Amino acid sequence: MRAYPYPRPSGPVTMRVTAVRLSGPDEAREDLDTKGYSVVEQVVALGRAERSDWETARLKLSATVPAREMETKGHWSEVTVVAVLAEKATNARTVARLEPEGPANREWTGSIMLVRPDHLDRATLSVHVVATVDGVPGRIIASSERDWMVDVTADVPLRDRQLDVVTVSFARAAEWLRPFRDAPWMVDTSGRMPTVRLNTDFDGLTALVQGAGTKVESLVGEMLLSQLCTDVWTAVFHTAIGDLEIEDDGTPLLPPDWRGEVLREMLPDVVPGRSVEDALREVHARRTGDGTWAELQPRIHYAATRRAEVPKALGETVRGIERLDQEATA
Amino acid sequence: MEVGEDFGPWLARQLQLTRMKQTELAEAVGVTRAAVSAWITGRAEPRTETINKIAEALKLDVGTLHTRTTDTLAGLPFTWYHRPGHADGGREFGNAAAFAFEADLEVLAREATQNSLDERRRGNEQPVRVRYTLNELTGETLARFRTAIRWDDLFPHYESAAAQDQKVGRVISAGLREMYERDRLVLLRVDDYNASGLTGDDYADGRFAAVVRRQLDSRKVDSGAGGSYGLGKATLWATSRLGLVLINSTLAEAHEGRTDRRLIGRLDLPWREVDGKPYAGPAWLGRPDAEADNVDVVRSWWADEDTVRSLHLDRESDDPGTSFLIVGAHDVASLAGARSDGDPGDDEDSLERMHRRLVQALGRNFWAAMTTGGDRQPLLEASVRTQRNGDEFLKEERVDPVIYQPARSRALQAFLGGNTVERITEVGQVAAVTVPLKVPDIEGRPGSGGEHRAVLLVTDASDADGRPNQVTAMRGNRMTVKTSRVPDLPLGTDPFQAVLLAGRAAGDGAPFAAEAEEFLRTSEPPEHNKWSQTEELRMRYSPSAHRRIAALTTATNKAVKELVAVQKEKKDSNGTGKVRKRLKVSGKAAAKGNTAVALPKLDDLDATVGADGAWQVTAEVKVPTGGDTWHMSPVAKLDVRSGPRPVVRWAELVAVSNCEVVDGVLHFAPGARRASFRGVTDVSTHTVRAALTGLVVELHTGRGDSA
Repeated sequence: MRAYPYPRPSGPVTMRVTAVRLSGPDEAREDLDTKGYSVVEQVVALGRAERSDWETARLKLSATVPAREMETKGHWSEVTVVAVLAEKATNARTVARLEPEGPANREWTGSIMLVRPDHLDRATLSVHVVATVDGVPGRIIASSERDWMVDVTADVPLRDRQLDVVTVSFARAAEWLRPFRDAPWMVDTSGRMPTVRLNTDFDGLTALVQGAGTKVESLVGEMLLSQLCTDVWTAVFHTAIGDLEIEDDGTPLLPPDWRGEVLREMLPDVVPGRSVEDALREVHARRTGDGTWAELQPRIHYAATRRAEVPKALGETVRGIERLDQEATA
Repeated sequence: MEVGEDFGPWLARQLQLTRMKQTELAEAVGVTRAAVSAWITGRAEPRTETINKIAEALKLDVGTLHTRTTDTLAGLPFTWYHRPGHADGGREFGNAAAFAFEADLEVLAREATQNSLDERRRGNEQPVRVRYTLNELTGETLARFRTAIRWDDLFPHYESAAAQDQKVGRVISAGLREMYERDRLVLLRVDDYNASGLTGDDYADGRFAAVVRRQLDSRKVDSGAGGSYGLGKATLWATSRLGLVLINSTLAEAHEGRTDRRLIGRLDLPWREVDGKPYAGPAWLGRPDAEADNVDVVRSWWADEDTVRSLHLDRESDDPGTSFLIVGAHDVASLAGARSDGDPGDDEDSLERMHRRLVQALGRNFWAAMTTGGDRQPLLEASVRTQRNGDEFLKEERVDPVIYQPARSRALQAFLGGNTVERITEVGQVAAVTVPLKVPDIEGRPGSGGEHRAVLLVTDASDADGRPNQVTAMRGNRMTVKTSRVPDLPLGTDPFQAVLLAGRAAGDGAPFAAEAEEFLRTSEPPEHNKWSQTEELRMRYSPSAHRRIAALTTATNKAVKELVAVQKEKKDSNGTGKVRKRLKVSGKAAAKGNTAVALPKLDDLDATVGADGAWQVTAEVKVPTGGDTWHMSPVAKLDVRSGPRPVVRWAELVAVSNCEVVDGVLHFAPGARRASFRGVTDVSTHTVRAALTGLVVELHTGRGDSA
């Protein structure tokens, strides 16, 4: 829990994106449809733009602050509201001031510029209320609770992301894949998002994991799918943990991209009962020699199994087989 | 000077009313019968001194004879006429039409306002103004009102009706009890201005007879009208616990040469027996009609201002329209609400609740008719006020559509003002697209149908708009017919509201608007709450005609989705959709399985910076069942924006309750649910002054110094 040495208002600060305009070369302007951003998900999907060569995106914002509380309690003076657009992966950080609109200083509006070359993947957008407190200027007295995500490539405004899944014939694919032609699938974690390759040399593999066909086929498909997912989650976890940035004092940092999200999802199962940061430190310490890496493997395997919903798939398969047996004998 | 009708017809009626023959008048005035006849037929007019004599004979002042705006009160005063029992002995224990609705103020507001809206005068572009007045009468005022409505004549009928153990009888008995025991009567008056008023003859076809004399007679002449069954008026009587409604109408077209203060009262009681005589049910308050076959039958009369005032029926202006006074108004729905609150007997509350419900019902059902846009006037203005014994109790409240339906009225406003866009690029914009409605041919009239383009408006919504993601459909009368949810919206779709304007509502330029209007009206059931298969639709069009409505709904939902939602890309060509679905990265920990342990958690933190610059912390820990075996170490860190947080050491760590501190680790007392401790940070380990940073306190398992 946090404590601050100065008073802060307790009311919520909310923010929403109200319009997005993209600018490209040759004065090309494009207003993004409102369906390109979602208030429910708090995501802006800039990939919906008609042209991909846009250079800047101007996001219009509207923020609501607990003005009445700030007025009545009176601890704060010179209140300003700023929007901050930041992306950890590129260390980009843009700040824009908002202006009060309407009576009572409750609504603050303004716009912030996103410069395409400054961003790689997903930027976070938040709003802070800054004021002078007890004679100290520039203190953050309140912030929006949940950051917005500005995704520069996505074309659907959703927070959750899916890994890429492609089907390819390993035998006839690029050189590096050929040695793996006996493997039904491969997980490649080197790209911007991990990619799962399904080997089409295995006839009917995709149909099977899609669960199409008879009852037996769908039961087998479900098992196969959970096995595939276990492989994927194990692989992405190892990739994520193996590529950490380390602070000067030896503390590992959560990666900003999908790696961080994977760790956040799986670490509670790998090291239960600890905060994610603690768990990360523990796992990193064991991996780099201080402790036993091998002891952790069952836990990683367990986390992946859980994430892949193997217990559920197994239970359903067993029940399904029993039912099939009954039908066969009946 | 205001002059009423011509002398001839006026005199003829006065003679009828006083049951005086032409010869009798001739004798009293001292002229020949032929002279009287000449006055009546309009061939001659009496001289001034003769007029004085006529006034004397009719017991009227001379002025009235000159203005002729009221009738003589000589002869027969207004009185109650109860329809005698049927000769065949049939008994009706209530009005079936009234049971089509609940006695609910919301329903009343909808039906009565709907009728006013349909009767709006088409000649001018002014809105029809509707005002609801709640007036609670007590004490002296109530007694005076009872005298005015001839209560003593009515009471035996009420007593007899209330004694019956039938549904209507029980309602009446409750109404009587409330009036007598609590000395209280609630009047609800519904006024409309700039409407037609109850025109037409007392008995023959016309608005008057449709409302006052008949059941299930819809006089709606316009295909754009909302009603079509003639059921709505029954709600007026259903809302009255005493089944009593008094009516004062100012007519838009003169009847019998007059327009002002046409009064009638109608009482709906079940079959009853009074003094050994059976009565069929309804009764009317009016003046005995000399022309009627039955001498007791009463008709509407042209009242003077005093009578109108004593009946609480005085209208604010001369604009045509009708006032309905519902005597003993009640609201079943809000009574039910009161009972669940546990304060059934709170009158103040009840008046306020009725007021509020009326305002809300008007806002919810008529926001569209009240919306203006561009240079167009609204169709309707509505307000609600509440009085006690005629004095203001709750201020008159003008129903503002923007308050009750911000998003929908914004959408309609933009449409009327021509400010819509094709696609929404900024919050607050209204998108307009058209959707097809293929109006089928009327049976036997090929070529009478065609493709109508209904207008669909979509805009973003807020919490104030009620349930999100709805399509509100309406036609020319701009009354909400149905509100339905748009199904199968993808995840992450922002809340919106859509309005579908079909038929005449789609604007002047819309093709086949009149045909679509008629088609949709035919497809409405009595509740006017959906478009679907009806008997009439089947007969007038074809048995499959209702499919056109289903097609409209489908097209509407599709158009809405196109505007607000990102369609699922059909990228699933390689058949990996199911795999993809399982491989989502959300950054959220998987749901807690049963292996997860419940750990003691910090529940409350109170931290201040002391004079020496050290943080002084008092913290409370919530210990779950079985969590007391854990040893937790409190860790204090300075809050920073990025990077690892600098750990601050404790200079002092003291247990306060339910725990002990061993080497900087908390050991909880067995079975304790809450524990608290106090700590002071070591200033020498602060990397910045305490006043300049926030402090984060966490509980870690194991030893604190490993952090």
